[in-house]
Amino acid sequence: MRIVVLCSSIYSETGCAVAVRMAELGHVPVGALALRTLDSPTLLRKLGQWGVSGVARYARTKFIPQPGDSGCTSHNPYLQPLLNHEAGVFRSLRQVAALYDFPITVCSDQNAPKSIACLREWSPDLIVFTGGNILRKLLLGVPRLGVLNVHLGLLPEIRGMSSPEWSLLQGVPPGITIHSMDAGIDTGPILQRCELPDWKRCESLGDLRNRLIAFGVAKLVDVVTALDRGAISAMPQYAPDSTPRTDNQFFVMHEWLQARAADRLARGRPAGVATTVNG
Amino acid sequence: MGSMKDQIAKTVTEATGLLHRPQRALPLIRKLASDTLRVTFEPRHLYTYATTKRSSADALNSSMRWILDAQRSDGGIAAYYSLLTGYSASYPEVTGYIVPTLYDFAHRDFAHRDLARGSHHAQDDGAVAAAERATRWLLLLQTPEGAFPGGLQGAAVQPSVFNTGQILQGLVRAHLETKRPQTLQAALASADWLIQMQHPDGSWSGSGAYQNGAHTYYSMVAWALAELSAHAELSVDQRYGLAAERNLDWVLPHFRQSGWIEGINLRGHPDYLHFIAYVLQGVLECAILRRRNDAIQTVEKSAWVLLRKFETNKYLPGAYGPDFKDGQRFTCLTGNAQISCVWLRLFEVTGDLRYLNAGLKMNEMLKQLILMRGPRGIAGGVTGSYPVWGRYQPLRYISWGCKFVADALLLEQRLTQSFEPAALETLPCAS
Repeated sequence: MRIVVLCSSIYSETGCAVAVRMAELGHVPVGALALRTLDSPTLLRKLGQWGVSGVARYARTKFIPQPGDSGCTSHNPYLQPLLNHEAGVFRSLRQVAALYDFPITVCSDQNAPKSIACLREWSPDLIVFTGGNILRKLLLGVPRLGVLNVHLGLLPEIRGMSSPEWSLLQGVPPGITIHSMDAGIDTGPILQRCELPDWKRCESLGDLRNRLIAFGVAKLVDVVTALDRGAISAMPQYAPDSTPRTDNQFFVMHEWLQARAADRLARGRPAGVATTVNG
Repeated sequence: MGSMKDQIAKTVTEATGLLHRPQRALPLIRKLASDTLRVTFEPRHLYTYATTKRSSADALNSSMRWILDAQRSDGGIAAYYSLLTGYSASYPEVTGYIVPTLYDFAHRDFAHRDLARGSHHAQDDGAVAAAERATRWLLLLQTPEGAFPGGLQGAAVQPSVFNTGQILQGLVRAHLETKRPQTLQAALASADWLIQMQHPDGSWSGSGAYQNGAHTYYSMVAWALAELSAHAELSVDQRYGLAAERNLDWVLPHFRQSGWIEGINLRGHPDYLHFIAYVLQGVLECAILRRRNDAIQTVEKSAWVLLRKFETNKYLPGAYGPDFKDGQRFTCLTGNAQISCVWLRLFEVTGDLRYLNAGLKMNEMLKQLILMRGPRGIAGGVTGSYPVWGRYQPLRYISWGCKFVADALLLEQRLTQSFEPAALETLPCAS
């Protein structure tokens, strides 16, 4: 199967981990399309998300070797087993691509005509999305088997942003859903959804997020393998309505509510029903 | 023709204001420069929202300080502070509906502390005194028929249905707080006049209505009538509640499937968010008081459309075309604050946390635009538009903007203090 990986940056740990895991299981990507790390819209976005000090800290850890830094640790400790290699830890997709010999294209918009042309050249059967732009119809139509996304929440209950936090406040167990992307936000057919085991042991929202990402990467690779064997099929979600009572889209969570979600996690209340589809 | 002459006269007066007081040039230039910088550089991204280090309590205190400073010697609250001409004359309509905000502010936080101390009398005396002065002034303006005039103090204008309704809000609250019979009589006289002016279909139009037309945003009048009817001592008299519901029944068919509301009906003006929000606030509050679930659900649909737009674009435009299309580029801060109030109240009614989330983020956006320090009239003030040269009340800090921002922050305080998320076990889970 010809697979392309889309990432938010060549330094994306999730992108690296997915590419490594795919390659290890015999699905070496035919290419990777990453967003430019230092273009001004991205920089502004990161400034907005993390603030100046957060961006400085990120840049320092990414680009400047720290004293005593052996290059042996990843930011997400749960991805570390996937990112370990002989010389340390994969820090960029370029290192992964060099080892497994696949091309990388860096772009400022994954939906741009140039990016689409590049993807068509690779002629993928499947695209695996690990981050980047909101994908438009033209791109979604390129691969034969569609574009897969790992959503950090159980669909269709929790669509959209801040999904782990919203799950906690809405009483839905934290989990992941692997779905085929369509033009809506997290509305595409579901291939697999699983509750995160032992989520009550998470120490913080950051820890929960890291565990979900690593869990999602592991499950994604299982899904790709199953798709390759023709052993899995997608189940459509109901069509979302535009009324609040039927629309399960959530948006970026305000920090006051995030603190309430963290409280909820700390209290570690037992959740309701464990749910698994195709899992 | 007359209106064009008025417009020219208004522009000339505003422009010459700066010649009379050249010291106003510095704050004007500073504000123009800061809004230009902010508009140019502020990042708006799907994964972020506006944040500020200012606490809601500080922003609330600043806005209330602005309102107290705007109280004129007659007891009325000025309509605005213009960066060109300074304070306007007192504005009866706004003075009326600021009264509940003054009392809410006076009683903020104290409910918690007083319960512990076994006392229920602690309050902010400055705000209470301001509310009482404002009420005394309003009583002087009432016509023998029970109506109140439109426009600023001193302008010779007709009795106005909308302004009478807005002032009725204040009178009802003032009576609740003070139990003065004179205030109650004034409130009842206003309500009786409003019923007398109401058409059988529930609308108001003709001589007491703006531009003589019927307007859906007069749902604010229905809210005032419903508020009056909710008084235990008046509940025997069904007329006020029924009049409120008659208006509700006239307004509701104006909501389109898209959530858009017809019938705002302001000739010569776009459909400003302020008026869209008036319709929603009036219908929602009236529906809550009259237990009309159909009306709550109708408001919810429009509020949800606006919530999705806000979450995507990080602000709501100052005016919209039909079906919420063609949003204009400036922001009407008053309208944004009112919509925050609608979302926060919908959270209270429905328990949907996404309304609380949107309200909190909207309040962050509003707080970051309030100047905490500066000259009187500017510090704590809320401009008509952001940027300040936008089409809605350009170059002015408006008292009703402060009122709605204060309402939104007071609601935020009340809801976050009493927040208790529903237990995980009892919430609907994945299936």
